[in-house]
Amino acid sequence: MENKSDALMRKILKKWVNRQHPPDSSRRRLLWDAAYISSNKIDLTLIFLNPQVKSYSSSTENDWHQRFFSWINENSIQFGIQARII
Amino acid sequence: MSKGAEEKRVISDSELALSLQAGSLEALGVLYDRHRGLVFRTALAITGDAEAAADLMHDVFLRLHRFAAHIDPQRPLEPWLYRMTTNLSYTWVKRRQRWFRPFEDVADWLAGTHKDTPAYQAEMDDSWRQVQQAVSSLPLSHRGVVVLYYVNDLSLQEISEILDIPVGTVKSRLHYGRQALKQSLGLLAGEILPELQYEFT
Repeated sequence: MENKSDALMRKILKKWVNRQHPPDSSRRRLLWDAAYISSNKIDLTLIFLNPQVKSYSSSTENDWHQRFFSWINENSIQFGIQARII
Repeated sequence: MSKGAEEKRVISDSELALSLQAGSLEALGVLYDRHRGLVFRTALAITGDAEAAADLMHDVFLRLHRFAAHIDPQRPLEPWLYRMTTNLSYTWVKRRQRWFRPFEDVADWLAGTHKDTPAYQAEMDDSWRQVQQAVSSLPLSHRGVVVLYYVNDLSLQEISEILDIPVGTVKSRLHYGRQALKQSLGLLAGEILPELQYEFT
């Protein structure tokens, strides 16, 4: 069972967060942005890549490969497309 | 089923998730209306910043829309929302600590708007500011657990699944977070802040 100070702390924290609310325009903004992203989705669902790591020297091989992989991942999420590196 | 009963039937989250996967913005709106409170409260309690919490809430629901295809409609949606909210809030706090805070402090100094001036302090309710500071002073990992437990009423097991950490770790973080918070709020010595005492006793 929760002790008195625990119960009081719960009340305080709840009251604290309930004092503030998101702006009224939040819903409209969300639906607007979602619609915009849907209508502008790039019609490129798959990016087929086959990195030729053998042609690079062994010292830079892991580095550029990893950086390229990260770049593809980050940018595909940013622009709402799916990318697959094969 | 009568027309009235049909109208009253509450559409489940899994039905809405399926509609969302089919691209329904109406489903996104209903999910937003239903769950915005938990997302906003969680983000606000972790970041301590209402403007950031509103932006994070926007981001969480936009990701729900964008990645709907990867969500299993048969599983409850709330754990996904909590996980996404805590992760994005953690990122926001870390980024702010690393980059923005020093710039903000310099900007305040240049503009002469020190946050420790009486004018600034008068704008904020002192007791609630102290609550915010007490929560913000907790280590991020403790803060997340405390917020999910006290603000969102989640069980230790639920928190363990959301944060992907063992139940023992949740208990330990909750213990230390709770002690630190009680100390900051004066609950250990029974010296609760006067305004809060007025509110709750």
